[in-house]
Amino acid sequence: MAEQFVAKASEFQNGDRQIIRVGEDEIGIFKHEGKYYAYSNFCLHQGGPACEGLTIAGVKEKLRDDKTSVGLYFDENSMHFVCPWHGYEYDMFSGEQVADRRLKLKKYNVVQKGDEVYVVA
Amino acid sequence: MSSPKTQTSKSATARPALKKPAAAKSARKAEAAVEPTRAEKAAFLKAMVQGIKPGSKAAEKSAARKGPEAAKSAKAAKAPKAETPAAAPKVEVLRRISGAASIPVTPESERALALAKELEATLADGKLDALQPHAMQALMAALCKIYSAQDEADMRYPVLSGRGAVTGTDVMIVCGALLRAVDLQVFELGMWQSWSGR
Repeated sequence: MAEQFVAKASEFQNGDRQIIRVGEDEIGIFKHEGKYYAYSNFCLHQGGPACEGLTIAGVKEKLRDDKTSVGLYFDENSMHFVCPWHGYEYDMFSGEQVADRRLKLKKYNVVQKGDEVYVVA
Repeated sequence: MSSPKTQTSKSATARPALKKPAAAKSARKAEAAVEPTRAEKAAFLKAMVQGIKPGSKAAEKSAARKGPEAAKSAKAAKAPKAETPAAAPKVEVLRRISGAASIPVTPESERALALAKELEATLADGKLDALQPHAMQALMAALCKIYSAQDEADMRYPVLSGRGAVTGTDVMIVCGALLRAVDLQVFELGMWQSWSGR
């Protein structure tokens, strides 16, 4: 495992993504609210480009005490990314598939050294 | 039929012939002890084709046969082996995906967002009287005017952020109330929409 250069931190804005190939692996690196997350770009479902789809906050339902629904809303404390092939949705913070938390994308460590961002792969 | 004499002579000649396989077996065993194994043969052929790798055991052995100076240089060739770095895997950028363009937030928008959050919270708590009628009327009138003015100025965007923001029933109640407030019928709304193409 070695540190592989990804991009200049100053050019990597919040909400940006970069897909790189290191040897035989494809890795998607996300920047969300100042933090970096990196996962394998191979979807656990059928090997689609998991990190290249929509990014969207998790949807939750607001309930009153008597369990009456007040409606659905986007949870600001969560962020998901969706594989564009068949809609497998992953938690950006853990790489877990949100419908079945036992399934998890391979996670890579991201290191920032000065203005340079590296992924350990 | 052969004579008994010939038979004895045959058996006499046959005896050493019986001993032969045993001798051959021991000879083969002796040969096998000297004969290199298949792996050794393969390694030998490889070395013949590729040459002896510097720093390897074979290089040391051959250098030892050549003399002490050659052995020294072979050992020196082996020493820097640990320092040579492994070839780093090639990194290739496949694509860069930009996030959504950031929208500049005005102070009015920030206050409106805070108010909307506060009103949603009061609704979730069941405090329906938190927003009094005159405040609701002022807010609704301001929202109608500003949305209409933006639309006229070609600043068009969906009035709600997503399908889950409000229910269809909520929309029908509010639209019906707004039409009633300005004494308009649904028929008139339909006519205006078909004329204006909106």
